[in-house]
Amino acid sequence: MGFTAYRQIAAIAIKELTLLLKDLQALALLFAMPVFFILIMSFALQGVFESGTKDRPIEILLVNQDAGRMADLITKDMASFNGLKIVKEIDGKPISRDVAERFVKERKWAASIIFDQDFSQSISEYAVSAGAGIPRVWMLIDPATNSQFLAPVQAAVKAIVERRVMMFRQMERFSHRFSEMGMPPLNQLIDQEDSFSLAQGHGCRLEVIFPHGVPLNARPTATEQNVPAYTIFGVFFIVLPLATGFIREKQDGSFQRILAAPISKCTLLIGKLLPYYLLNLIQTGLMFTVGWVLFNIQLGQISALIMLSLALAACANGLGLMVAALGKTEAQIGALGVFFAIVLSALGGMMVPAFVMPEIMQTISWFTPHAWALSGYHDIMLRGLGVDEVWKQTILLLSFGGFFFVIALWRFRFTE
Amino acid sequence: MTAPVIMVNDLTKTYDGVVAVKDLTFSLERGESFGLLGPNGAGKTTTINMISGLLKPTSGTVQINGISMIDQPLQAKINLGLVPQEFALYPALSGRENLTFFGRLYGLWGQTLKKRIAYVLHMVRLSGRGGMSVSTYSNGMKRRLNLAIGLLHDPAVIILDEPTVGVDAHSRHAIIRSLEDLAASGKTILFCTHHLWEAETFCSRVVIMDSGKIVADGTPSRLIQEFGSGLIRLDIAPPVPDELLNNLKRLGAFHYPSETAVRFQFASAEPNRDLESVLSLSAGLQVSVRAVQLLEPTLETVFLNLTGRSVRD
Repeated sequence: MGFTAYRQIAAIAIKELTLLLKDLQALALLFAMPVFFILIMSFALQGVFESGTKDRPIEILLVNQDAGRMADLITKDMASFNGLKIVKEIDGKPISRDVAERFVKERKWAASIIFDQDFSQSISEYAVSAGAGIPRVWMLIDPATNSQFLAPVQAAVKAIVERRVMMFRQMERFSHRFSEMGMPPLNQLIDQEDSFSLAQGHGCRLEVIFPHGVPLNARPTATEQNVPAYTIFGVFFIVLPLATGFIREKQDGSFQRILAAPISKCTLLIGKLLPYYLLNLIQTGLMFTVGWVLFNIQLGQISALIMLSLALAACANGLGLMVAALGKTEAQIGALGVFFAIVLSALGGMMVPAFVMPEIMQTISWFTPHAWALSGYHDIMLRGLGVDEVWKQTILLLSFGGFFFVIALWRFRFTE
Repeated sequence: MTAPVIMVNDLTKTYDGVVAVKDLTFSLERGESFGLLGPNGAGKTTTINMISGLLKPTSGTVQINGISMIDQPLQAKINLGLVPQEFALYPALSGRENLTFFGRLYGLWGQTLKKRIAYVLHMVRLSGRGGMSVSTYSNGMKRRLNLAIGLLHDPAVIILDEPTVGVDAHSRHAIIRSLEDLAASGKTILFCTHHLWEAETFCSRVVIMDSGKIVADGTPSRLIQEFGSGLIRLDIAPPVPDELLNNLKRLGAFHYPSETAVRFQFASAEPNRDLESVLSLSAGLQVSVRAVQLLEPTLETVFLNLTGRSVRD
């Protein structure tokens, strides 16, 4: 390569840099975007990496209806476990099953552990009678809760309960033998709260249940959890081609030529948006069909699914138009589009479930249309709810869309 | 006498207090070929955009076939065909697909649309190329397709913004011939161009704009007669002495470097007298004059006289 070629390379590089520097807004977004990603994803993923640790324990509601003292002992064991935090009271009152169901249903807590009234009694019977059933503990969860998150929690809870049950069972058996031999009861010789373990084998059954009104077979699979999340993620990616299409037409003059025809601005916008809207609907339909055909996911009430999808597509189109109105160059639109499509997805819980995020991030997530769309899809597919319940999310999505449209129409310049 | 096809009254446009077009008033009769001329920044495109309904005037009115462009833009636009300076085309589509899209915007469908597409493709001499992707078109073909789109809905008025920019002689000729055919068929043509010879040969009337105002309005021959003067072009070997430079500037000359000399150009009402005085001064200063051209009065010299600038300035 000769000297001339190097100079040519330098000339081209300088020209490119000059062009980049001329579009300061695009350049700023280029730098702002990774910073936002680092901040948001770090905050959002904090829950994934730190949940279940001493500093960030997983909170579980306790519904203790046990007439005996076994549930209390197990609760103490759980409280001493670093990764778990047992919430025994809300507003100074013990938690009833109804209250737990409400909070889990509202996704304020991910899970609740419920001890029945006869829990201690069932352990006693199980300890001495070979025919008695295994004691049961209920774990109430939101069906939309990520199973990867719940599995270790369930395992930890089950282990703690089993350990205590097995210990009690062995002591009861020893006591029984000792009394037959005329010796004092074992519980007078050994403190039951000692941490040695005699546990082996199956000590209890942890039954997973869902809040009232949710079908018992509604336990979600990974696909059922992922399909709606990634569908929403994909739907909002329409922002990029939609907004880029607008700026290209404005730049090459075809937008002006269309406006020179007897066509209203409103007609033009509807005509421009309609194909993208239809594309979004086809995209959504295809995603759910793939999930249904290949992975046998439950779709829930189809009319509710359609209603929510129509609102979601409208919202995504509104966002696309807003990006088209705010971006002045193709580079700006690219950066803004990616920014909104990915950052809002991360905030809205598409990449990691919102409940593992810090509380402030969880609150922020409700300011994204993504979170409401996901909540709606989960309500339909996993919680078995229908149009009567999902209209709230639909209205909210339409409101987000309306907000984006208003900003877009306010900032949109039909001529350059 | 029939009503004017285009009527522009006191048209004004200001941007943040800067006046782009001021109190513009003119009208076009049916069948007129009207040239809108002016240096860059004169306000031609702003005027065209206001007439086409793309830009809202700050004040004044525009009527197309008696319909107000401000009050009833959709009805007024039906009578207009705009041919913008940009290639306002979709490169991924074929020429015919582009025409189909724009035709539908004007309410043309089915057989009517097919017939109109065939007609305009024939008119701009692209009949055999309609099915090709526009991305494969030459600049000249794109310009012709641009024109065809403007003609598709058979408008009463055709507005063209620099329709021959960047095309070869063959395409330019084809475009001008198409425009002549249109003018002969009674269409009103508003034509904005940098090529003054095109305006001179094609337009039945021209308006010269400068700084947002009309500075001359009439037929090319009348304007040449009224404002035209001889155009003197001198190529002088550098360096040009200050005395000669000042003298030429006094005569209104502007200069630009050519390969081996500095070229001076100025319009003169008395070209023989002015040329003689410059040549004798050059001889006295022992300056080498490489070439002398005395050009006949044209629209170019009219333009130079009225605006003090070349049309390409």
